[in-house]
Amino acid sequence: MRPASAQQPTVTVELFGVPQLLAQTRQVELSAATLHELAQQLATRLPALAGSVVDRATGWLLPGYIFVVDGRFTRDPNYQLTRGARVLLVAAQAGGM
Amino acid sequence: MEAVHGQCLVVDLPDGTATAVALPELVFASVLGGNGLASYLLYRFCPPGADPLGPENPLIFATSPFLGTGLTTSSKLALAAKSPQTERIGDSISSSYLALALKHTGFDALVIRGQARDWSVLIVEDDQVRLEPADDVLGLDPTATADALRARLGRGFRVAAIGLAGERGVRFASISNDGRLAGRTGLGAVMGQKRLKAVAVRGTRPLPSVADPAAVAAAARALAARSQGPETAKYRVLGTVANVALFNRLGVLPTRNFQAGQFEGAEELSGEHLVTTRRVDTHACAACTIGCEHHFLAKGNGAKARLEYETLYALGPLCGIADPDIVVHAAALCDRYAMDAISAGGTIAWAMECVERGIALPGDPADWPRFGDGPSLLRALNLIGQRQGPLGALLAEGSRRAAHVLGQGSEAWAMHVKGLELPGYDPRKLKTMALGLAVATRGACHNRSSAYEVDFSDQLPPDAAARARAEAAVRAEDTAAVIDSLTLCKFLRHCFDDLFAEAAHLWTLVTGLPLDADGLRQAGTRINTLKKAFNLREGWTRHEDTLPPRLLQSPDSLVDGTELDRLVAAYYAVRGWDDAGRIPLPQWRALGLEALLGPLEGVCGGYARR
Repeated sequence: MRPASAQQPTVTVELFGVPQLLAQTRQVELSAATLHELAQQLATRLPALAGSVVDRATGWLLPGYIFVVDGRFTRDPNYQLTRGARVLLVAAQAGGM
Repeated sequence: MEAVHGQCLVVDLPDGTATAVALPELVFASVLGGNGLASYLLYRFCPPGADPLGPENPLIFATSPFLGTGLTTSSKLALAAKSPQTERIGDSISSSYLALALKHTGFDALVIRGQARDWSVLIVEDDQVRLEPADDVLGLDPTATADALRARLGRGFRVAAIGLAGERGVRFASISNDGRLAGRTGLGAVMGQKRLKAVAVRGTRPLPSVADPAAVAAAARALAARSQGPETAKYRVLGTVANVALFNRLGVLPTRNFQAGQFEGAEELSGEHLVTTRRVDTHACAACTIGCEHHFLAKGNGAKARLEYETLYALGPLCGIADPDIVVHAAALCDRYAMDAISAGGTIAWAMECVERGIALPGDPADWPRFGDGPSLLRALNLIGQRQGPLGALLAEGSRRAAHVLGQGSEAWAMHVKGLELPGYDPRKLKTMALGLAVATRGACHNRSSAYEVDFSDQLPPDAAARARAEAAVRAEDTAAVIDSLTLCKFLRHCFDDLFAEAAHLWTLVTGLPLDADGLRQAGTRINTLKKAFNLREGWTRHEDTLPPRLLQSPDSLVDGTELDRLVAAYYAVRGWDDAGRIPLPQWRALGLEALLGPLEGVCGGYARR
């Protein structure tokens, strides 16, 4: 995992649903160049997510979770983040009865 | 084939005579079971042009080959009738212990025709059918009705019952099964029109065998294990109420009768808040290993209710209500009267906007519902559930009919498609869902389309062509039809690596009939085509596949009227229908529907283009 650096953009991650309840926080600021790095940072900063939302082995999201970056849903680990981006961490299943 | 009895029981009221009617293998091979079987039986037993609230409209209860096999979530009952809300196909699904009891009677489905002379309970014990007076349970809520009937008849009976809303002809009345509602399209009103307060079923016959018992048992264990994975964590931990905060953040939480897509009171109603402040317990449906049902206790008024996202949306933001205790109370009222919370909330939100615009409703102005006024919401629900007074009678008709009666331009803010009120997905920002809602055969429905999954994913880029969006909407509909016909829960859908391939394999293990992924996909297409054919037969025309004008005329909408027309045309093209949305004869034949239902001209009124 590449360490966070001043060159990496700082983004705001908003947590919804299970991630929010597990982490006991709604929002966190992190520095990461890609979504994969962001997922790794999340598991480090919020250990409750490791193993339940972020795969410990791969550092990527487990099935059932997805990011929303500036309104766009994506599970692309190589998605390039830009400074000031708003990233939502949400359940991939949006449906309901 | 295995796993079915190959027959349904047709009950004719008023005398309660019953006839066994064969269901050959071709039926199950074509429409699978569950929702597909109920749709097929409706097509077959509903006379063209039937009055939805007339005795000729049959009420169908159907099971599936998967029911009783041990496959998690499969204990579901599929119901169908011509909808008194839409006058098109009315189909609904409910988890139910009655479903298993019905299969133990030796029948795969129950078809109820006619009307009882007096309020009655239909009792089915294996192949014996009788009617008993319902005097002692009239006016009771469904839970009390089921308790009373099981005390009278024996604990082995399972009960489906209507509440006061069904007794009094509320057009969006539901049918309750052990607290789970077959909620949409007004099937409770159809049951009430038949003067049936309840159907009680006990079966003593063995379930039909499956083709490969050991493999089915292993598959059931594996699926149960997968149902406990991260794909379903949302439902197990929070339930569908988790949608509120996210939808609000995304601007797709319909608010004050779709006047906005964000609600300032969403925080108080969010699932994250509710589970930490008001949740009292959780439950699982019949034969389910997920357990998504979360119950909440209101502070102060003591009301307790199961809350789902749709209930929360319709009785909360849609009506401008931010008080969770009011919403829990309102949800409990909908359960008690047994009426669809989406249509109830949608109709009341329409009335609230009338009041906001200074348009007089019938009845005492003190009873008129107002946005943000919790007590007025509860009062309106009581008036509707009891069909009390001129206001209750008007709103019991649903938003489309109420707006037609009231006039004064109020049709413009009656938020429905084909007469069915919209679920809680604002289509102004969900382009594929906009198409799905417009074309769904039972009206504005998220369960028969689920095209929102395309918008809430990276399946398509924002600028996707109409054709690609239409293909995605068709896939979503056909997937839903397959899941609903196998009577599996949609919350399982992401537990499969390849839903169609794995579900087709399960089908073969259960029934012994060969089926591959493509064959299962085609079954989904066939079922949706069958439903469309029913609607065509009942007078459907192209103009019904649209959205309320508010959604097409908003400056922030991704879909205006022209764009929706383009999407609908692309959808018809993907379906292989003509420009008017009709089913060409070659397709009818290619899907095997002629073999199943007869010549197109005979059953569909000759609408097809040759």
